[in-house]
Amino acid sequence: MRKTLLFICFLLVSAFVFGQDEISVSGKVTGSDGLGIPGASIVIEGTTTGTITDMDGNFNLSVPPDAILTFSFVGLQVQTVPVEGRSVINVQMTESTVDLDEVVVVGYGEMKVKDLTSSITTIKSDDLAKTPTGQAMQAMQGKVAGMQVVSSGAPGDSPTIRVRGIGSYPGEGNESPLYVVDGMFFDNIDFLNSSDITSISVLKDASAAAIYGVRAANGVVLIETKSGGYNQDAEITYDGYYGYQIAQDVLQMANAEQFTTMAMESGSAADAQFIQNAMQRYGRSRINPNVPAVNTDWYDEILRPGAMQNHSLAVTGGGEKSSYSLGANYFAQEGVLDMKNDYERFNLRSKIDYKATERLTVGANVLFSNSTKYMQDGAAWFDAYYAVPTMPVYDEQNENAWPEKYASAQTLGYRGGKNPFTSLAFSNDRDKQRQIMASFYAEIDIIPDMLSFKTTYNQDFSSSEKREVRLPYYLTENAQRENSSVWKTAANWSNQIWDNVLTFQRDFGAHDLTVMAGTSYRDEAYQGLWAQGLDFPVDQEQAWYLNQSKTTPENSVNDDGLRQYGISYFGRVSYNFNNRYLLYGTMRADGSSKYQETWGYFPTIGAGWVVSEESFMDEVAFIDYLKIRGSWGELGNDKIQASDGARTTEVINTAINDNLVSGTIAASTYSELKWELTEETNIGISSRFLNGNLSLEADYYIRDTKNAAIRVNVPSVGERVLRNVGIIRNSGLEVALNYSNSISDDFSFNIGANISTLENEVRDLYGQPYIDGGSAEFRQRSIVGEPLLAFFGHEVVGVYQNEAQIADAPSAEGVTLEPGDFIYKDQNGDNIIDDKDRVVLGSYFPSLMYGANIGLNYKNFDFSLSLTGQTGNKILNRKRGEIIWTNDGNLDADLAKNRWHGEGTSNKYPSSAGLRKSWNQKMSDYFVEDGSFMRIQNIQLGYTLDTQRWLDGQLPEARIYVTAERPLTIFEYNGFNPEVSDGIDRQTYPIPAVYTVGLNLKF
Amino acid sequence: MKPVKYILLTVSVAGLLFSTACHDLLDEPAENRAFTDETDYTISDNMVLPLIGTYADFYQRGWEDIPLLAVRGDDVNHGGEGDQQDYANTDKFNYNRNFWMFNSVWQNMYKDIFTAHSAMEQVELYIANGASQAKGDQYIAEAKVLRGWLLLQISRMWGDVFITESSDPSQLYTMELSPKTEVMQHISNQMDEAIPNLPDMRPNQRTDIPGGVTQYTALAIKAMAQLEMKNYQGVADATGAIISSGLFSLEPDFYNLFKIPGKLNDENLLELQYSDYGQGSGDLSRHEYDFYGPQNWTPAVEGAGGGWGFFEPSLKWIKFMLDRGERLRLETSVLFTNRGIAKIQEDAAYANLPAWISNTTPSGDIINDFPRGMFSSGKQYLPSNQLTEGRNAYGTNKNYILTRYAEILLMHAEALTRGANSSVMTADEAVNEVRERAGLNTLTGVTTQQVLDEKFAELAMELGIRYYDMIRTENYNELSYDGRQFSADKTYLPYPQAQVDLLPALRTDAE
Repeated sequence: MRKTLLFICFLLVSAFVFGQDEISVSGKVTGSDGLGIPGASIVIEGTTTGTITDMDGNFNLSVPPDAILTFSFVGLQVQTVPVEGRSVINVQMTESTVDLDEVVVVGYGEMKVKDLTSSITTIKSDDLAKTPTGQAMQAMQGKVAGMQVVSSGAPGDSPTIRVRGIGSYPGEGNESPLYVVDGMFFDNIDFLNSSDITSISVLKDASAAAIYGVRAANGVVLIETKSGGYNQDAEITYDGYYGYQIAQDVLQMANAEQFTTMAMESGSAADAQFIQNAMQRYGRSRINPNVPAVNTDWYDEILRPGAMQNHSLAVTGGGEKSSYSLGANYFAQEGVLDMKNDYERFNLRSKIDYKATERLTVGANVLFSNSTKYMQDGAAWFDAYYAVPTMPVYDEQNENAWPEKYASAQTLGYRGGKNPFTSLAFSNDRDKQRQIMASFYAEIDIIPDMLSFKTTYNQDFSSSEKREVRLPYYLTENAQRENSSVWKTAANWSNQIWDNVLTFQRDFGAHDLTVMAGTSYRDEAYQGLWAQGLDFPVDQEQAWYLNQSKTTPENSVNDDGLRQYGISYFGRVSYNFNNRYLLYGTMRADGSSKYQETWGYFPTIGAGWVVSEESFMDEVAFIDYLKIRGSWGELGNDKIQASDGARTTEVINTAINDNLVSGTIAASTYSELKWELTEETNIGISSRFLNGNLSLEADYYIRDTKNAAIRVNVPSVGERVLRNVGIIRNSGLEVALNYSNSISDDFSFNIGANISTLENEVRDLYGQPYIDGGSAEFRQRSIVGEPLLAFFGHEVVGVYQNEAQIADAPSAEGVTLEPGDFIYKDQNGDNIIDDKDRVVLGSYFPSLMYGANIGLNYKNFDFSLSLTGQTGNKILNRKRGEIIWTNDGNLDADLAKNRWHGEGTSNKYPSSAGLRKSWNQKMSDYFVEDGSFMRIQNIQLGYTLDTQRWLDGQLPEARIYVTAERPLTIFEYNGFNPEVSDGIDRQTYPIPAVYTVGLNLKF
Repeated sequence: MKPVKYILLTVSVAGLLFSTACHDLLDEPAENRAFTDETDYTISDNMVLPLIGTYADFYQRGWEDIPLLAVRGDDVNHGGEGDQQDYANTDKFNYNRNFWMFNSVWQNMYKDIFTAHSAMEQVELYIANGASQAKGDQYIAEAKVLRGWLLLQISRMWGDVFITESSDPSQLYTMELSPKTEVMQHISNQMDEAIPNLPDMRPNQRTDIPGGVTQYTALAIKAMAQLEMKNYQGVADATGAIISSGLFSLEPDFYNLFKIPGKLNDENLLELQYSDYGQGSGDLSRHEYDFYGPQNWTPAVEGAGGGWGFFEPSLKWIKFMLDRGERLRLETSVLFTNRGIAKIQEDAAYANLPAWISNTTPSGDIINDFPRGMFSSGKQYLPSNQLTEGRNAYGTNKNYILTRYAEILLMHAEALTRGANSSVMTADEAVNEVRERAGLNTLTGVTTQQVLDEKFAELAMELGIRYYDMIRTENYNELSYDGRQFSADKTYLPYPQAQVDLLPALRTDAE
């Protein structure tokens, strides 16, 4: 076919060739892989004269010496090259970033990019593969304007994903987007390997997402797994990498000397005594005899480098009637926390499509995932912060300690053991997860190229076998665990979706109409059984069973289940007039058994105007394509927990006369909930400039979540009940720019950047001025007109330096102020510092996020670098805040160094004694720090070996590469890392840097 | 295949779909929920369950509840030096309304009040469905008494508080605060309502709920409410009724009254029950006694856990007891460290201490020096040799006595010295009964001051009884000890900030 075309074109072109004043130009058109591209078109600009390349990519053309040549090929970036009298012009073409004719998945169908009226960003497998990670979504960080990815450092844990801010109250498990993997719904895609995935599309606005109705309000992420192609030779590929994770930016804690100084200045005789005790027990430092000899850096002790590796093998291809893609991959990651803390996953997948008859296509898609995760004991991060540096890890003098001679701070006089190794050595939490996703479909062309029907049945079955073991130990009386305990959990989820979709498509001259109607039936079931056993033989892991336990506590056997049904009807109309005017609308009716209100209706409409198709735009040469689009739609969020709709009764046990008896408590409050309703308006432009080399996408959106389910404090009982009581608005601007070009045969590049702004605002709380969140000590408050869950407290102006300053200070409500105490701002000017001076101190949502990337190809080398960052978000440093409850622990070095210790020494931190005063422990911006950061997200350097030229091309194509993931992060925050999903940093796992070497082979 | 066949195929698949799309499934209720509406109130045997639930919630007292209630008295210091600064400040009458403990204790107590209301409402439903009226009335009365105790403590700490009316906490949004006297009158009235429906026996004589509430528990709480109102005749009447029942007596073994042998003793009118069920592992209901325990000790039974070193008996009280020549009650109430003993001896008047004062308890546990305090409280102490083997946490299996007969006798005596009448017992007789157990000589013609001193000696470190006595009698000088400065405006704790932020009634009051 291609040859015939070539021949016809060649004939046509030849007819137009003139001899006069023209020179002959020849050359070769190659792709980014260096191979010739047959059939590429070369046209002299401003004429219809041109040629196409031959089978090897060579061309020959007579042109005027000052001509400008336009090189183009489907799927590749158009290039314009001035001849400038040259006789040889070689051109390397690169893949266009987003081709307008490209097809994207939109939910129950596909659309061409140029027909979209909504905001969709698609990331391809090549980009995903650059990030060494077990979680494909982690690879999306910084790549999609408007999508926030908050990394999680713990092996196997999913990152937090937020599409266009947060519409749902956080911390309830309501915030995550809907993941649709080949038609099946998921809450996360942890079970997938990046190499299983062809593309990830983020449906950002209501117009795109509304087809998923009640599930769509947090954004929809569509994942397509790899598939084969008809009439395609088999391709066997291997991708693999191996590397290490190194904890970055480890928080510097006060050393023994600084800690001693802090204790001595604390004004607490007890704390000073503990230091004396440390010197008595472990000796004095030879450098400074007033400091204990022991100087333990606890973070250093609990961290380790963690290995990471990934291997994937795939076979893809197809014949005339069938296409296939099979793959296997293995991923393994060790945590950087020095305990049994790792993640391993093995996946197998197969996707087969078969044209059974002329009009019937059937297919099956099966993916099996098997993973084992040893979870961290997060308490270690917290314990290591407080562990006193004057104590060693091991203490041979602690003779009664078993099974290890760990040191205990109690021997120095502290209340407890304070040794983080009890969390590391005596906890063992394992989760074995197995997941099978299977889908089968049949597609019938009722009227070829016009009316088709597709029925798809999806089943996702997953199971989790969890074993949480706590082993007994003894350090000292107050640091011991008497009994071994094991919690066993067996849970499984079985979710089924049956979709039936009828699609009609027809061109009526300039009118292009697509109509889709469908139904979806959903059945979600969960059941879990868990039980606890105490006192089993601890030495052999094989004995960690309930049956080996001597005791099973009363009521330690639990059983839970869930069954929810959903029935949906949906439809879509998309209409295109002359490729110029676009209209789009969808409607979904969702029925759900989850709430008392069963039915919800979610409509959307969109329109687009392709300005560049208008005749008046012909004059504007630099604009290749310009579309203005707008949409409005409503979405639901049924992640909100099922509503009881009535009071419930719980069982409670107590001792009466040494007998265990059960009673009941009928709850005083109950939830009456329904889904949240999100209404979104989006306007945007899509455009291509400079012969398609430059693309610009921009969107502005306003997204209002109504009936937002918010935890409301029940007065005086310390309980919080979820109620649909608010309207939350997210609005923002998203801009993405990409430019790519080839400078020469050997050198091409692309550069891209995206920024997005976010403004989160509570619009209404159904009559209340505010709703309190967070904890009573570290108040977060949602106030109308302010961001959701804004940090709320006093503003620190400085530190009192002397008595004279205190004499002039506003009244402190009876507190005796001393130099070294905080100066709080008297916000209302009443000359009294009290609760009325509290103000909003900031929000944990970034107001600006950005990402940038650059890619270079030079001969056999390829190089890419990406950046990401955010500003405007705050982090509550709860590690420092812990001093409210226990004030004899260690502190970070910044605090120790910059404490106030005499006039003029600090205007930032209080004195050591002051840190323990309640005055300085009020919630204030001392605890709330700037969380802005900028990070070099990924650097990759690859080299493609000339294996094709060796041994007569019998060797596979091979590329070797090195990757540095997150090698550098710049931030001010006094903590491990500025990525804290809920803004409260208490025991956050550090996000390590990853360094890997990798190999790609293609047979 | 022909197009017709495809159409037929499509239609049949679609038909199948619509026939199976069963909309009824959308009305299925949630799994694994026991809806209160669906409780079968005709099963009368279950009427006791909400009451047991109330006891269970009542017994699950937060460790901070009683320490906050009690810390301001001159019998006890905060202890735990260097830790919980705001707790120490509270002891010194410097209150921080943001202190987590204020909010926590407020919530712990009100939550249980709502649980008691909920139980009363549930029992009413059982009665309406045919359960025994008499039994139901008794259960309601029991819940009322527990609610009364909680409300009494809340009002003692905060003064004017809410008098709840039902199990729905949202009533507080619009509710006004009631003055303390009104709260006390309300409690007294509630007890009057409850008494006729309650069993006429000692709590430990009950067979259905041993240790549960009886008429005498209600009378005791009524007496305390009357005492707060300084209605001494009311005090004398209520305590007189308890005394004249002849059911209660003082446990001769004062030391062990506060330990395992004292569980459900004849002296106890109300106690929080805990148990390890006699097993070395497994089920456990325990109070967090760790708070009170010495922070460094060499227990007679190796491995037994110590405590956090809070709640330190005051030097003032120890000297007061030494002045009186007391041994039994001092030895029972205080665990001495060598550092503490040296501290007492720093005062020349106490340079020579009785030989029995040592850092070894009568049960053989050695209390080592610890920097957080000089003494630990003996009434919350459980000797390591009374622990069940396998249980190491401090105080496991020990009950917490809230009200005992000695307090009843002394309340009775005080009322009489203040002019109240009683045909049951004279003030001398009441005081002497307590003194005799303590191994002291008898008094004649006791004065109010002597009764207050006796209360100080007998009830130290118990629930702040001393502090509220000093408040009631406006004996502020006693509270201004060891550098503390008490004044009348320090009587009540400020409302917790978290509640002020939530409840308009507290807000206007706070401004």
